[in-house]
Amino acid sequence: MLTYILRRVALVPVIIVGVMTIVFALTSALPVQDKILAQHQPPIHAKCGTPEYCPCNLVGGNATNTSMCKNPFFWRIYNELGLNEPIPVQWGIFMYHSLTFQWGTVGNNSLLVGAAPYSYAKGIPVAGFLGGILPYTIELALVSLGIILAIAIPLGNLSAVNRNRPVDQASRVMSFSGFAIPAYLLGGLVLIGIVVLSSSFVGGIGTVATPWCHAGESIYNEFTGSWPVEGCYTGALQGSTGFPIWIANSVVTHPTGFPTIDAAYHGQYWLAVDTLLRLMLPALVIAYGSIAGLLRFVRNSMLEVMNLDYIRTARAKGVPEKVVVNRHAGRNSLNVTITVLGLTFAFFIGGFPVIEDVFGLDGVGRALALSVQPTIDFGVIFGSTLLFTYLVVAANIIVDVLYAYLDPRVRLG
Amino acid sequence: MALNTDEPLATQVRAARRPNPRIAQMKRTWYFFRRNTLGMVGLAILIMIAVVAIYGATQPLSWLSMTQYCSTNFGPLNSASGYNSTTHGGAFLKSDVYGCAAYVCTYETVLPTNYLQFCNGQWYKIPAPEGSVYPGAVAPTLNLGTFSSGPMPLGGLSTAITGAFPVFNLADGMLRGADWSLIFSVSIVGIGAMAGLIIGAIAGLWGGYVDEAIMRLVDIFLSIPVILFVIVTITVVVSVASQNASLAGPDTELSLLILAFAAVWWPFYARIVRGQVLVVREQKYVEAARASGAKNGRILFRHIIPNSMYPVFIQFSLDVGTIPLLIGGLVFLGFHIFPNDQIYFPELGTISALAVQNLSDYLVNCTLPGGGCVIPWWQLLFPGLSLFLYAISVNLLSDGLRDALDPRLRR
Repeated sequence: MLTYILRRVALVPVIIVGVMTIVFALTSALPVQDKILAQHQPPIHAKCGTPEYCPCNLVGGNATNTSMCKNPFFWRIYNELGLNEPIPVQWGIFMYHSLTFQWGTVGNNSLLVGAAPYSYAKGIPVAGFLGGILPYTIELALVSLGIILAIAIPLGNLSAVNRNRPVDQASRVMSFSGFAIPAYLLGGLVLIGIVVLSSSFVGGIGTVATPWCHAGESIYNEFTGSWPVEGCYTGALQGSTGFPIWIANSVVTHPTGFPTIDAAYHGQYWLAVDTLLRLMLPALVIAYGSIAGLLRFVRNSMLEVMNLDYIRTARAKGVPEKVVVNRHAGRNSLNVTITVLGLTFAFFIGGFPVIEDVFGLDGVGRALALSVQPTIDFGVIFGSTLLFTYLVVAANIIVDVLYAYLDPRVRLG
Repeated sequence: MALNTDEPLATQVRAARRPNPRIAQMKRTWYFFRRNTLGMVGLAILIMIAVVAIYGATQPLSWLSMTQYCSTNFGPLNSASGYNSTTHGGAFLKSDVYGCAAYVCTYETVLPTNYLQFCNGQWYKIPAPEGSVYPGAVAPTLNLGTFSSGPMPLGGLSTAITGAFPVFNLADGMLRGADWSLIFSVSIVGIGAMAGLIIGAIAGLWGGYVDEAIMRLVDIFLSIPVILFVIVTITVVVSVASQNASLAGPDTELSLLILAFAAVWWPFYARIVRGQVLVVREQKYVEAARASGAKNGRILFRHIIPNSMYPVFIQFSLDVGTIPLLIGGLVFLGFHIFPNDQIYFPELGTISALAVQNLSDYLVNCTLPGGGCVIPWWQLLFPGLSLFLYAISVNLLSDGLRDALDPRLRR
């Protein structure tokens, strides 16, 4: 067991170095200006106090696609950064910066910093910026993962037991339809529905009355990407536009960074509930979209387990069918499910930019969505590639270890 | 077949009449597949879409300049501010639901709090997409009457897709969209699957250090989330293409785009094929072939690859369904995957993404005093529905195939 875990963990550096090498190879094809941002070289922005000391695209030059820069200071920094060194040295510098979380700084000409929720990020370190808003995304991921597990496992078992009966067909069509509707479309439809339906609710047009806010909270704002500034959504924790602001401004202490937990920590229980409810809708959309994969695996592994000898033995000795399905078969089919969870995590987190953009949740995905338009914020894109890769690698390791713990046969391998 | 005197004649005749085993297997698979209702439904829908796509491919997409489009449908457009339909120049277009006649804007300033637009000779102030709430908000209403009272029979279908440039209308876009969606998805996944097939087969057959190295490389590629990898690759490809004059032009950029997508897809196939090859190469029939003196190449192409193809087919049909969704997601995020921001390749994902994007614009416009509040739901519904039908038919088909091809699941 220990050997197995050690062997898995020993692979982590290989994977991380490999991913960073791929990213490095991709960045080295970029023009010089973008390359500096993409290879997250920090000092260039740190020295950006005086305008002539900045790279061209930071002083307003048309430098997005030009490889030549007329600013002599730029080339001095270029040399200082080692960009005139041979490729292996550049690779070494890139690796050093990547591993020490020196991912450069957020640029200042993408929509990301032009828009209200992230305007505080202009020029701050990418790693700190992403780290500050990561808990929000993780919270969303956990809520939707919970929903997926809660639905996929019972439904998968049910459809395996009733194979090719209407229940099975219905669950299959339902899960495939989730797979087939693009997230932006489903999110958009859900929001139209809410906007239209909620016009008939108490408390004004486009709002819904909530137990903690009888005047009605504006859901409409959620579509336009902002948190309500007036009405009920004001509290000690409330910054001007939303969570990342109060996380960034240190209006209050944020011991964990998870909005729900922090709100509860400060005694603002209604705010915690509110946050969680606001996460439910996007989480449901995510869950509906990615339930198909897991459901299929649960169903298939359950089908395989149900044909095994020990199930027949259990039935033969008179164990009730319910116990056979839930205990004998259900638990043993879970092994496969857990491995699949690790694989789906990569797809899963990939859906977040769209979902967070539709619902106006100020997490990492939305930051990424905003940083691809209209000018590309290379620092944020390449930084979040590394961040999500770390997350996926970590998730895979946890899943592998869990699997080895659950299935004794793996230890031999 | 020459007669062999060692065996009784009846046996030889039976052997000669026996159909080709591969064809027999296909017939058997078809027999089991036919009994799967959902799979057949998927196949039927897919054939329908393919027919539409083939018909669409023969129809030229009628690109319309805004002036042309609007003057045929609505009378001349006031384009005093010098909108240039061919260069896209500094001008950008704001239009109403029908893609016409609202206003032609030449300048846009982005301020932290609001947008200022210079349209038809006067400045308009519209709220920023994020941040502050515009005062005096009015709830938008769903105006169901608009569809039938449109400018043409089935009026909604003739409305222009806002945000697409050059302009085309919904019906044209969808007709050609089916075509382009199929081309995109089949070529992207096809190239990725081919590369993965070869690499995976090499890893599985060679074994040892080669296998180890290739599989670690696959692990590395699989650790990068798909959407991020696509964004990063395309960013680099677009950037390189725009630097290099020899790579300019829609055709080259389109091929680069397809290659960039395919680069993301091969590791999945390499992993599947390698696992499958490891199982197949230990089978008795491979051993028998080797014992009877078959060369490595023959064993690879005649025995191992054909017998490890089924999981590849299944994965292929699954992935083909996700490509338009992925492209749509990227377009929705505002990521410019198409050369020069021009949508020469109307594609179902792109069209539906533009529709959802426009939706939020319309909702914002509704909050303006006196703003129009018609939600163009048909622009959401029809591309969305066709995209949905495409993806779900592909999924049902692959599920049916899996059941038909896996002997353990047939019972």
